[in-house]
Amino acid sequence: MTDIYIPATSDTPEINFKFSSNTLSMSGEAYPENGVEFFRPILRQLQSHLTSLNGDAIEFNFQLTYFNSVSTKIFFSMFELLNEYAKAHPNCVLLNWHHDEDDDTILELGQDIQEDFTWIDFNAVVLA
Amino acid sequence: MFDQSLLNQSKAGLSEIEAEYIASSLLKVCSTVSPQQTNSEVTALLDEQRDLISVAVVENGRPIGLISRNIFMEGMAKPFHHDLFDRKSCIAFMDKDPLIVDQNMSIQTLSFKVLGSGRKTINDGFVITDENGDYLGLGTGEDLIRVVSFLQAEKNRLVTESINYASIIQKSFLRSSREDMSAVLQDYFMHWEPRDKVGGDYYFCKKFDDGFFLALIDCTGHGVPGAFMTLIMASFLDHILHEDNRHDPAGALAIMNKKVKMALGQINETATDGIDIDRFSSAQSGQSDDGMDTAFCWVNTQNGTLTYAGAKTPLFYIGNSSSEVQLLDPDRKGVGYIDTPMDYEWTNQQLPLTKGMCLYLTTDGIIDQIGGLKKIAFGKKRFSALLQDNYLKPMPEQESIIMQAYYDYQGKQKRRDDVSLMGFRF
Repeated sequence: MTDIYIPATSDTPEINFKFSSNTLSMSGEAYPENGVEFFRPILRQLQSHLTSLNGDAIEFNFQLTYFNSVSTKIFFSMFELLNEYAKAHPNCVLLNWHHDEDDDTILELGQDIQEDFTWIDFNAVVLA
Repeated sequence: MFDQSLLNQSKAGLSEIEAEYIASSLLKVCSTVSPQQTNSEVTALLDEQRDLISVAVVENGRPIGLISRNIFMEGMAKPFHHDLFDRKSCIAFMDKDPLIVDQNMSIQTLSFKVLGSGRKTINDGFVITDENGDYLGLGTGEDLIRVVSFLQAEKNRLVTESINYASIIQKSFLRSSREDMSAVLQDYFMHWEPRDKVGGDYYFCKKFDDGFFLALIDCTGHGVPGAFMTLIMASFLDHILHEDNRHDPAGALAIMNKKVKMALGQINETATDGIDIDRFSSAQSGQSDDGMDTAFCWVNTQNGTLTYAGAKTPLFYIGNSSSEVQLLDPDRKGVGYIDTPMDYEWTNQQLPLTKGMCLYLTTDGIIDQIGGLKKIAFGKKRFSALLQDNYLKPMPEQESIIMQAYYDYQGKQKRRDDVSLMGFRF
């Protein structure tokens, strides 16, 4: 599977999915007019990559400061994919949830993710 | 059957305005010269017609070059050049490769061509021909800029007028809510600020004999699509609030959920455990996934209780005895979306109201706005602190203070979403 790199724009995040080393990173903001169109190909590739793995450890770095409701729903679908993988392969998915120490909005969302996707190892990281 | 590809030829509204203006709109019929004519004849022509910027050289009806007044005059002004060139063919100072365009070329294509061919075309103009390539006349850069600006202004005007009118419609849909709100509340404010003149935020208030129903709604999207959604939601809500269920906000949310899912066909047939393999396939790209986040409140004015049910929208309140801001937490499912089950049940929460208690509802537009030095979200903490510091002041004054703090926080950052905020004192 080829890696995905998409540079950030004002309304889409930087996507750096290194499938080769199972290090997946996302940073910036996400509020494109048509979020589904932007994220669908990325999620499809993630989905098919996950089916090719067998217990390989995945590290996901999530570092967003703003995302609209459409993007939020897409991220939940994405974490659901990772959660399913982690259910089949316990302790194989680590989610680093980067947030500013004062950013209660992002932290709260992280807590929701942690609550909903219990197979993913959740690690809140305070940005320096 | 109507061939859908025919639609591409259909011109209406904006595309009609564009089609109306083509290269020939810029056409100026100007005197020409032939290659047999001499430079002294060109000098005479330019002296005679002072407003000629350029002269086309035409042979057998075809343009073969363009003589620029400036370049020609400059060339001829050099010492002895009159003696050297006066009797020679005028092609000596001619640009052999001017921009030549068909009279039917669109203004947009023409603009890119003119820009692409560099400064000389903007200064000296370009040649316009008929379909056979025969000379018709000249166009100038100045006229092109004039038409492009006009088209731009005209398109803006059409879009702006249309949105302005849409805004009037959306506001008039809010009128009865505004009237009921001012009838049932004494000290209150309702701040509604769509990001793009119209938007997906909406408020609703309906007065009954025994109390009033209050809702703050955040539909998916903003701008025109968001506004469409609010009209759908408003008419559903108006229809479902009859005799009994006004006392049951959670039940009202459940009815709204079913209605929206049915109306927009947002039913997930594979909503079972496990991953839906086709979820990200392009086959589903036409499927909408729209709905609303909202807080529904029934305020019983007889016994002073509030019943709240929330879809991702909390209720903030602060009593007059304790000065701590408290929250009623919403359920975490939105209304109508594909991943909200058809039979999803929201929960009612009861809150006894005491006189002087302040209650606030807001959509996520304020809380999630990026700003400040760190460029992070405004946040619930900051919002709650503002309520805490100001809740004793009259509601309209609180509105000014909160919104000012919000505008200051946003600073130079782009507005991310529609903003709605309401507060009232019981």
